Amino acid sequence: MTLESMQPMLSELSVLLVPATAHGGGAASHGAAAVSEAIAAGPWFAMFIPLFPLLAAVVCGLFAFTRRYDPKRSKIPGWCCVLGLLLSFVTSVAVISRIGHDTLQVTIFEWIASGSLQADFAFYLDPLTSIMLLVVTGISTLVALYASEYMSGDRGYARFFAFIGMFVFAMTCLILADNLVLLYLGWEGVGLCSYLLIGFYYEKPSAVAAAKKAFIVNRIGDLGFALGIMLTYMEFGTVEFAPLFQALSGHSPESVSGSVQIIPFLLMLGAFGKSAQLPLYVWLPDAMEGPTPVSALIHAATMVTAGVYMIARLAPLFVLSPYALPTVAWIGGLTALFAATIGMAQYDMKRIFAYSTVSQLGYMFMGIGVLSATGAVFHLFTHAFFKALLFLGSGAVMHGFAGQLDIRRISGLRKVKGWGVVTWTMLVGCLALAGFPFLSGFFSKDTILAQAFVTPGYGFTILGFMGLFTALLTAYYTFRLFFRVFLGPQRYEPGDEHHADDDGGHGHEAEHFHPHAPGWAINLVLTILALGAAFSGYVGVFGGEEHGWFGGMMHASTGNAVTESLAASHGADGHAAGEAAGFWADPHKWMMAVSAVIGLVGILIAWYFHLLNRQAADRLKERVRPIAVLLENKWYVDEGYDILIRKPLRMAGYVFYLIGDTIIINGLVALGGAIPRLIGSTIKPMQRGILHGYGLGMAAGLCAVLAIMWWLIQVGVT
Amino acid sequence: MQPISIISLNAYLLVSAVLFALGLIGFLTRRNLIIMFLCTELMFQAAAIAMIAFGAYHMDIQGQVFLIFVLTVAAAEAALALALVVALYRRRNSLDAEVWSEMSG
Amino acid sequence: MLLALLLIPLVTAIAVAAAPEKQARALALCGTLVGLLLSIVIAVQFNYQDAGLMQMPMSIAWYDTFGLNLSLGIDSISLVLILLTTFLLPLTILGSFTAVTQRAKEFFAWLCILEAAMLGVFAARDLIVFYVCFEFTLIPMYFLIAVYGSANRAKASIWFFLYTFTGSIITLAGLVYVAWAYQMSPEGTGNWTFDIATLTAFCSEHMTAAQQGWVLLALCCGFAVKVPLFPVHTWLPLAHTEAPTAGSVVLAAVLLKLGTYGLFRFAVPMCPLAITTYAPLLAVLCIIGILYGALICWVQTDVKKLIAYSSVSHLGFCVLGLIALTSIGISGSVAYMINHGLSTGALFLCIGMIYERYHTRAMDDYSGLAKVMPVWATFTVFFILSSVGLPGLNGFIGEFLCLVGTFISGDGANPGTLGPMYAAIAGFGMILAAIYLLYLAGRVLFGPLKLPDTHHHGHDDKGDDHAAPTLPQDLTGREVLVLVPIAVACIVLGVKPGVLLAPIAAPIEQMVSAVSEAHTRHAALLIDGAPPGLPPAEDDEAALASAEPMSRDIDTTDNRPSELGRKEGLGQ
Repeated sequence: MTLESMQPMLSELSVLLVPATAHGGGAASHGAAAVSEAIAAGPWFAMFIPLFPLLAAVVCGLFAFTRRYDPKRSKIPGWCCVLGLLLSFVTSVAVISRIGHDTLQVTIFEWIASGSLQADFAFYLDPLTSIMLLVVTGISTLVALYASEYMSGDRGYARFFAFIGMFVFAMTCLILADNLVLLYLGWEGVGLCSYLLIGFYYEKPSAVAAAKKAFIVNRIGDLGFALGIMLTYMEFGTVEFAPLFQALSGHSPESVSGSVQIIPFLLMLGAFGKSAQLPLYVWLPDAMEGPTPVSALIHAATMVTAGVYMIARLAPLFVLSPYALPTVAWIGGLTALFAATIGMAQYDMKRIFAYSTVSQLGYMFMGIGVLSATGAVFHLFTHAFFKALLFLGSGAVMHGFAGQLDIRRISGLRKVKGWGVVTWTMLVGCLALAGFPFLSGFFSKDTILAQAFVTPGYGFTILGFMGLFTALLTAYYTFRLFFRVFLGPQRYEPGDEHHADDDGGHGHEAEHFHPHAPGWAINLVLTILALGAAFSGYVGVFGGEEHGWFGGMMHASTGNAVTESLAASHGADGHAAGEAAGFWADPHKWMMAVSAVIGLVGILIAWYFHLLNRQAADRLKERVRPIAVLLENKWYVDEGYDILIRKPLRMAGYVFYLIGDTIIINGLVALGGAIPRLIGSTIKPMQRGILHGYGLGMAAGLCAVLAIMWWLIQVGVT
Repeated sequence: MQPISIISLNAYLLVSAVLFALGLIGFLTRRNLIIMFLCTELMFQAAAIAMIAFGAYHMDIQGQVFLIFVLTVAAAEAALALALVVALYRRRNSLDAEVWSEMSG
Repeated sequence: MLLALLLIPLVTAIAVAAAPEKQARALALCGTLVGLLLSIVIAVQFNYQDAGLMQMPMSIAWYDTFGLNLSLGIDSISLVLILLTTFLLPLTILGSFTAVTQRAKEFFAWLCILEAAMLGVFAARDLIVFYVCFEFTLIPMYFLIAVYGSANRAKASIWFFLYTFTGSIITLAGLVYVAWAYQMSPEGTGNWTFDIATLTAFCSEHMTAAQQGWVLLALCCGFAVKVPLFPVHTWLPLAHTEAPTAGSVVLAAVLLKLGTYGLFRFAVPMCPLAITTYAPLLAVLCIIGILYGALICWVQTDVKKLIAYSSVSHLGFCVLGLIALTSIGISGSVAYMINHGLSTGALFLCIGMIYERYHTRAMDDYSGLAKVMPVWATFTVFFILSSVGLPGLNGFIGEFLCLVGTFISGDGANPGTLGPMYAAIAGFGMILAAIYLLYLAGRVLFGPLKLPDTHHHGHDDKGDDHAAPTLPQDLTGREVLVLVPIAVACIVLGVKPGVLLAPIAAPIEQMVSAVSEAHTRHAALLIDGAPPGLPPAEDDEAALASAEPMSRDIDTTDNRPSELGRKEGLGQ
């Protein structure tokens, strides 16, 4: 592809906006009817993708209410759930094979129809959907399998799997949605399941608080999302993707009104909430209160990537504002760096990975922002594998060591019997996260970083360097954890909690503590995920000309075509330039070298401080104490929000209640009631209770009436 | 039926007025509940006389209708009022109206 | 048919009052179930093709001189509200089987009478019938609160009665004014009538914008108190808190809807010119109510009070959607009436069930109930989520449509005078709703378990003096039976809102077009000599701009507002 051939004028974006199947026609002048014809009907059995998990959820829910069901003995709900998710995965694969590079549509039933607002329960299937389906149903099946062992013995075993099934239902609705309202349904649905699962151990106040926080912070973003939907509807008269993209075609930032340009900013607010970006990231680290499989599935692999998916899906809207995508890029880049700095100073394994997730999501947003939706979704894809792996690995540690997650209290697991699989798979995961050459994270991260250097934009080069620095930090904190926990001298203390109610086998005393090595299900899942973490990057290298099979899929997806062509119109196609001028002119090639070096440097630093000479790390920490404290306390962002937002609002509530309602309004009402009472008490003494007094009054009244009548007759009124 | 003249109407009205005044004065000056009640009846009948007189004067049957109405009501009321008086007497062993003054505001 | 629907609860009430104490509750349940069946029959026979027309009309002359008729009839809006009422009443009665132990006979009789009055409001086609029923709801409710309420019930019942009664008196004045103006006008030719359709048409077509303004103000006085809108809401928390469970349920689920129904049936159609002028003002009140109520919810420590204030917040959305005057907004508003009735009613039922076990309303006395009462907890979380407006459940539909309707109101393609800013600010209510309802869930359902304080007994002491704290029992079969139908309704309306939205579309479309026609006519009148039939040169904005300086018309026409204009129009 030459530079010239990739330079369509902005107004020609319309060709790309029309879904892939319409390309063959080659006409940009389709009417709305033509588009609906152009989108072929998809396979009807796509409805089973969300249906199977929902059924599984219902079955598990019934188990949860069955009094005779004993979670200590039977794992039936777990198996039901795994089966449901597996069937969903199989259906997904079947559907994906039908989709190929096309765009299909399936209407299941009519949902909301009011006035001209039409939002059906319908699916929009294109290659982007395919990729997301693979990630969601695949990872969730694996995680459910893992959890069937991990959660065993828990009182809420059936409840857990009911929630997981519900989650997968909502998540598949989200990614299959054919309109913004259904997308919003899935969006809120996953938020709900996240709430329920974070608060799974509802007797722990911290878990309840974390769950509440997650839901509410997400709601803030959702408000932006909802307003974005409304504005879209107001401007374009539809919320369905196909007509919407059709309406958008032929528009450029110059040809749309200002209010249309606001839409992407509202929508991105939703994405920032769901995907835990600045300033709404605060809920994700707290969300680690949930059971670990939940952290892996919802808070690392799937739900939190919904924001990335949404922006990728609605890219045609985002390109209509010249500032929207750069904003996304900068927020992403800043979040990546910010979260990585916090991640460096945490001691809780799950929290480190939580901040790492925030940071990696930042990369994805940066990727979309610098017009590499391919890179972003690619990173989403690989990240799902290695981050799920890392969480599940730490979950295995937590499971085995009675809730111990502090990397200072646990060391040298490699040598403990039965922990080999965990150690080696964790190594693969850490390497992938750190961007070690030729593992999955390496390819996807480089795609994004390279694009940052080639797309001209508002300081994208600075962003690229920030990304590189973040990569260094990532490699450091990842291996800080790995060297501390898995290598070094063998030493461990059990945690203070048992995830099972009466798991007497573990004992409380450290001397008698025997770690509980993971069973086959956990090891199997870890191994599969490790394979994914190692090799999933190659789908973006082989199987297609640009970014492999993955690039081909993304190229055929509706939204991405726009960003690609926009990038091309900026004259920013790295490969094209590379073919013209050799290795150093192609950022995608030299970036691999640079980032490989950076990753290795990070690993080496971690190796020195956390394996070779652990005292040096402590000394260094003493020397930069203020910074360390600041980082350990997460820049005091939570406290800031508490003082700046939560407290004033609560104060306002008190003021409204105690002063507004109780004093002012009720005071006025009481005053209204006091006036007649006052009048009554003034004339009360006239009622003496003596009959003759009343009689006299009546007689006087009679006289008065007669007098008035007489007077009226005198003056001549008849 | 012949209409009565204005002169005889005046006479009727005079009787009515005198009756009413008697009743009023009696009501205001006496303290015995039964007598007070009788005085109100007196006022009632005064009004009734005026009504039937006017009816006859205007040749309007409604005057008589009202008279019968008033008589009926007065009869019912008398029964009720006397029952009340008996009840009150049983409470306080007195027919003095001054005894009942709890209704002071 | 409709008369029978009204008579059934009345007959039931008499039967219950006459029946022996033990059979009273079963009898009341049967009676209301028959009412439900009859309303279902009505719903089946209803002709959905002409959903906008008044159907199943019946009229009994009452006092001809003043044109009073006992006339009933329903359109689809009335129908859905009637269904809501008849659906909830049996469940409420079933839910209070054990809650009320003393003077239970009267309790169930009052509930049946209340049902009759509420049905009368929704089925009325005559102003006086409407008003009588509207006010008559106060009496049973007064007794329900005053006799069966908790500690502070005397004050609550008096406040409830006087507060709403004062407002309604002004509404009555407004309605009588309209009837009087009609009788004085050439249209009425001296004949009194209280037929709602006639008066509505008269008021919207022949009254000036200024007159409509006064009528609107009078109507709002009564209806806004009932809804309740922001500054006149303080009776609600008090009444809700002190009322027995059944009282709270009926109050939240149906009685508050009388206010919104009144606004829907009278305020908007009668005063199409004035409502557009004053909609922003009302909307500001709604928005203040939404945010103010929500923030107050968040600092409550009394469970029932929290839900009561949440009604203040929620009904702000409902009225906001209504006065957006777009068909989406009004659909949303009607949907919101139904959905709020279901979810808040159910929440009060849930709270009532737990009150029976703990005999306290203070949030501090509850904690961790999810552990011992999982079934109850599941239902409560479910209804909380429905109330929060989670998509897929019923609450979302109403809230979303109200906000969309407000958002697109007055954007050129749609009528109305609100706009995106109103929706955006009101949207913060969505966040706050999540905050306070999850705060409730977090405090009551989750956390470490707290047991009932056995030293404290409620007013209905059943002689249960436990020596040691016992675990509260999870829901009985009867209680589950109460909640399940509501939960099913929530899901059905959330997944297939078409069952609600499709029937109500026609009357709403009629109303929206009537409002815009009124503006067209008005604009045509303003342009001298332009016959009303022609499309106006100016759009709504012109009508709006000129809505205020209408005093000229008043001066010249002297209570026969548009006679002059009409003649001008006809003269062309």
